[in-house]
Amino acid sequence: MIWLSWRQFRTQAIVAGCVLAAFAIALLVTGFSLAHLYSGSGLPGCQGRGTCVPAIQNFMNQMRGSVYAFVFYIGVAIIYGGSALVGAFWGAPLIAREIETGTFRVAWNQSVSRNRWLAVRVTMVGLAAMAGAGLLSLMLNWWVEPVYKATRFAPPDSSLSYGRLSPLLFGTGGIAPMGYAAFAFALGVAAGVLFKRTLPAMAVTLVGVGFVLLAWPNWVRPHLIPPVHQVLRLRPSAIEGFSTSANNSQMTIFAGVHKPGAWVLSDQVVTSAGHVFSGPATHACINGSPQACSASLAALHLNQLVSFEPASRFWPLQGYETGAYVLAAVVLALFCSWWISRRRLA
Amino acid sequence: MVWLTWRQFRTQALVAAAALAAFALTLVITGIQVRDRASAAGLYGCDATHSCEHAVSNFINQLRGPYHVLFIVGAMVLYVIPALIGLFWGAPLIAREFETGTYRVAWNQSVSRNRWLAIKLGLVGLAAMATAGLFSLLITWWASPIDRALALRPDTSIGVVRLDPTLFGARGIAPIGYAAFALALGVTLGVLMRRTLPAMAATLAVFVGIQVVWANWIRAHLISPSVARAPLGSNLNELMISPGAKMTVLGAWNQPGAWLLSDKTITPAGNVFTGPATKTCLQGTLQQCNAWLAGKHLRQLVTFQPASRFWTFQWYETAIFLVLAVALAVICAWRIRRKRFA
Repeated sequence: MIWLSWRQFRTQAIVAGCVLAAFAIALLVTGFSLAHLYSGSGLPGCQGRGTCVPAIQNFMNQMRGSVYAFVFYIGVAIIYGGSALVGAFWGAPLIAREIETGTFRVAWNQSVSRNRWLAVRVTMVGLAAMAGAGLLSLMLNWWVEPVYKATRFAPPDSSLSYGRLSPLLFGTGGIAPMGYAAFAFALGVAAGVLFKRTLPAMAVTLVGVGFVLLAWPNWVRPHLIPPVHQVLRLRPSAIEGFSTSANNSQMTIFAGVHKPGAWVLSDQVVTSAGHVFSGPATHACINGSPQACSASLAALHLNQLVSFEPASRFWPLQGYETGAYVLAAVVLALFCSWWISRRRLA
Repeated sequence: MVWLTWRQFRTQALVAAAALAAFALTLVITGIQVRDRASAAGLYGCDATHSCEHAVSNFINQLRGPYHVLFIVGAMVLYVIPALIGLFWGAPLIAREFETGTYRVAWNQSVSRNRWLAIKLGLVGLAAMATAGLFSLLITWWASPIDRALALRPDTSIGVVRLDPTLFGARGIAPIGYAAFALALGVTLGVLMRRTLPAMAATLAVFVGIQVVWANWIRAHLISPSVARAPLGSNLNELMISPGAKMTVLGAWNQPGAWLLSDKTITPAGNVFTGPATKTCLQGTLQQCNAWLAGKHLRQLVTFQPASRFWTFQWYETAIFLVLAVALAVICAWRIRRKRFA
């Protein structure tokens, strides 16, 4: 049974293995020079603004326009795109092809029961998918470690100030990619079972995985652990800009917040009573200088309401997220098992 | 036959069409909102630099959240559509006939093989180009206020200018060329490999590879870049000293909407300036260092593609990919005509 599974899975496994190996070589080659760049930048052991600010400038300048950003984004694309492709090319044909070509009649009439057949194939390929994703995540994490260490010193709103909790990067670190791979694979198998034809199942899997991976960080992840709410006094230096309506009756203030490594979900300017500040625009802001505007806003005693996920929640969020995806994968696999044990041979 | 195919694919086709229509509707509704905000912020009336700066920051500040997500997702969808067309319309078109053996019937009809191929490729190709073209039109329209704002004042937290490699292929007419090329590539690999799944995987790999290489290394050379030279003086922007007194200085450079290819500082002899830094710069004040640098008579050398070349690039790129698509179609025709029945 295991031998059969391997024979049927061989080509896909070898192709994926080659891609993984090629990328691993690219990571190894660039990874050591990146680590060298970090240790030579003066960031390790820097103390205080005097030495840290030039060091981080130095580091960021050498990163800009270099091959590192390119390699990193290729890695990000492989992790997200790879899980969708695992679903489409490993998952969808797994059962759909047997049904399409009629070979299920042979496969399901052996001494091995249908469910055992399904269990062995799904477990083997699913574990391979998770192992591949885990390996990729591990390699990319090793590679990007110096950059994450540097984010601690990065000035706000610079290209380095996004920590590993930011929506794009969260899914490429830790154990979450294993969850995505398992889910995408199981979704592919289930789509194949439902559609009974390979091509439509592949299309649905690609679109489905793409949609889930895009929708999740926007709508689901912020609610896995309720965010921390914090009220800060609005300092003039935090004001990044404001917009006013045509007749100046409304005014929105945009304030920045610097929380290295945290994921800031919302950042609003509220009045001392706790309502969102909506104007009217102060006279000084319409006609006066920026200083006069800041001073007039300070007189309003405004606060900043920030809700965010602190950097320390990286691993709990990873755990919940991976758990949710693996659970979804198991449910989909159970559905497939129920469906094929019910099916009559026609 | 056409009826049978339609009946077998009806559900999936309708679901796909409904999903695309829902996305298009979202784009239309939010696109109108983005335009309203742009005109309320004064983005269209501004002409002087100062009033434009204010209008742009006013407008950009309102884009946080869902509009920003849609801006990125729209570009992503437009990159994915040609790849999906190559995968799901292109690769199986002939590979399936081989795989199931139906080519024996299909190619022994009163219609010649080449005519059969021409009709298939022509119809599916037109559909592919129309799909990509419509979506590109929709997304280009949706994002045009943001593209305009970013061309006036760059803001990397929102996006990049439309000439940038990450955005160029998701605007204008280039997606039409990509769709035609991806389809032809899928069909050709299907003819060569004769099996659907491997052909799909190969199509994806080759298409993505070509897109990445093209955008990063080839497109910039389609038109020889503009060069700007200026003495490095008050425009000194960055000064960096690495271990070993190696020194890098960069001048500021700002041309609205342009695609910056390289920015170097050269010595009067024409070499890239790398130092060595003097004691003045290592230990002295910034003023002293600047004075020392001024004595070096350094010049800034910038190569770039100006914003006005956007449509020229679009036409070149579309034409090139259409020509490649036709070349691939000719290869298919040649392979099919040569093939004996086994």
